[in-house]
Amino acid sequence: MSQLLDVRNLSVRFPVGRKGAGWGQVSYLTAVDDISFTVRKGETLAIVGESGSGKTTAALAIAQLVGGETSGRVMLDGQDIMPANRDQLRAMRRRVQVIFQDPYSSLNPRKRAEEIVREPLDNLTDKPAAEKQEIVDRLFEAVGLRPEQKRLFPHQFSGGQRQRIGIARALSTQPDVIICDEPVSALDVAVQAQILNLLRRLQSEFGLTYVFISHDLGVVQHMCDSVAVMYMGKIVEHTDRLSLFNNPLHPYTTALLSAVPSVDPTLRDQSRRILIPGDPPDPLNLPAGCRFVSRCPVAQTRCRELAPELTGNGTDHRTACHLVDANLVSPMQSVREAGL
Amino acid sequence: MSDETFHTPVEKARSPLAEAWEMFRQNHLAMVGLGLLILIVLGAIFGPILYPTDPYEMVWAPFSPPGAEGFLLGTDYLGRDILAQLLNGARVTLIIGLAAAFVTVVIGITIGAMAGFYGGAVEEFLMRFTEFFQVLPTLLFSMVIVSLFGASLPMITFAIGVVSWTAVARITRAEFLRIREMDYVMASRASGAPGLKLMFTVILPNSLPPIIVQSALMVGSAILFEAGLSFLGLTDPNVVSWGQIIGSNRQYILEAGYTVTIPGLAIFITVLAISLVGDGLNDALNPKLRKR
Repeated sequence: MSQLLDVRNLSVRFPVGRKGAGWGQVSYLTAVDDISFTVRKGETLAIVGESGSGKTTAALAIAQLVGGETSGRVMLDGQDIMPANRDQLRAMRRRVQVIFQDPYSSLNPRKRAEEIVREPLDNLTDKPAAEKQEIVDRLFEAVGLRPEQKRLFPHQFSGGQRQRIGIARALSTQPDVIICDEPVSALDVAVQAQILNLLRRLQSEFGLTYVFISHDLGVVQHMCDSVAVMYMGKIVEHTDRLSLFNNPLHPYTTALLSAVPSVDPTLRDQSRRILIPGDPPDPLNLPAGCRFVSRCPVAQTRCRELAPELTGNGTDHRTACHLVDANLVSPMQSVREAGL
Repeated sequence: MSDETFHTPVEKARSPLAEAWEMFRQNHLAMVGLGLLILIVLGAIFGPILYPTDPYEMVWAPFSPPGAEGFLLGTDYLGRDILAQLLNGARVTLIIGLAAAFVTVVIGITIGAMAGFYGGAVEEFLMRFTEFFQVLPTLLFSMVIVSLFGASLPMITFAIGVVSWTAVARITRAEFLRIREMDYVMASRASGAPGLKLMFTVILPNSLPPIIVQSALMVGSAILFEAGLSFLGLTDPNVVSWGQIIGSNRQYILEAGYTVTIPGLAIFITVLAISLVGDGLNDALNPKLRKR
């Protein structure tokens, strides 16, 4: 199948003022460091990682919504969509839309629901008013809102309904790619399921491609076709969902998955939590080698000296770890067995 | 799990402004202030028509006390009818208050919005510029402007506006800094809104509540400011304002106290009414207080 979205060597860095730095001296915080990933049409890529891993920055950089310095290439259907001018930016915005994390702050409190949904149409298309109205009406129906709710203001909706408005807004220009920035993490669990099911239904209905940011592995397992795990601005593991959940290779992924609680008592007894000690390194002063080295239970000397490349050793299961070879055995295997 | 929404009774669309009015209405003091203000405005509009005595004409002997000789509020040191002066002066006073507040808001919002929206060097320059105006002694500076360029009504208005816009600029900047980080601003950017549209149709309307409150209070302080300038004699001699009545009668404050007390009371009540309304607006427009 064709790769719809192809992100190559994407980096985002922010200039920061720092104590001890001289006048005119700027240091940079590299939030996203040279990452590449692909998403096939109609599929969902999850980007997971802890807070500060750069997952949201990476996704918003694709939509040209970060203030920092962005470099790299974003290809949509083989075309470079990093815009060079205003018209290209408009064209890109029509094709790439965003669903935001917090439905309580992502809707302008002074606009009516229908105005919010219509905003991308007003700014990005030249459709006549009647046609826009028709699109808005259809979108309200598609996301499960009633027509008489069009005139209401955001504060008159519940969290789940607000997120439906946000979804309708993202759909209005019929985009190819929708970036979902933790779209359910601000909602309570029952509503989460409704919204996730809605997103999946819309995906099959409109042939949408999602880049789905999340830190909730349960949600990821439910939603996604492939997964990229980020740690400190780098992708450490990128593969399809089944490979990742059945055979996590990178020590960080292994530890992350072992932390997912299970309601099944037999599973719970079988699994051993792998604890990773310490905190992530200072993002302004990253280690020379692998970024996970200070917390990795199986780190070796070469991990400290040389940063590992993201490589699949000839397979689609790509990992950034020196200790993973072509046999695709996790270096954590020994730790897990020792735990049992 | 079902994908449909629960059916709730149809809700009426309630704009944030409608909710603020609901809140304002429940605030008794604010409603008293609003009532007073409406009376004062009506008096300013219709008073001179219903009571057509010329405020500049000598109608009786000077220093006729209130109530005596058929003059409800007495006469001043030139024998002019104080009631007529008060009604005519209300127009000038209110116009100066409103116009000066308008000047304040226009300068303040422009500078504050640019500083808060663009940030960086623009913000640095504009805020230093604002601080320069903040450290100027306001009364002295406006006296300099009025005495240099003449004591006409527009110049007095301008002088008051130019020395008092800093508060609005700072509030606007602070609100812009806060609002521009909100997700709905980023959502508007993702929806293709260009910079200026973002600034004026998304960030500004959401920044307005504290600016509205400040502007309302600004009308009151502009009235006080004008009274201060008039008291010092820096006033347009061709129009009558409340401050000017006080200023011209100030030598006779011991012999005929009512000549300064009456316009003084008028200023006091007006500014008080404006403050009450401003406080009510603050409570009504501030969503944090609203939830209490």
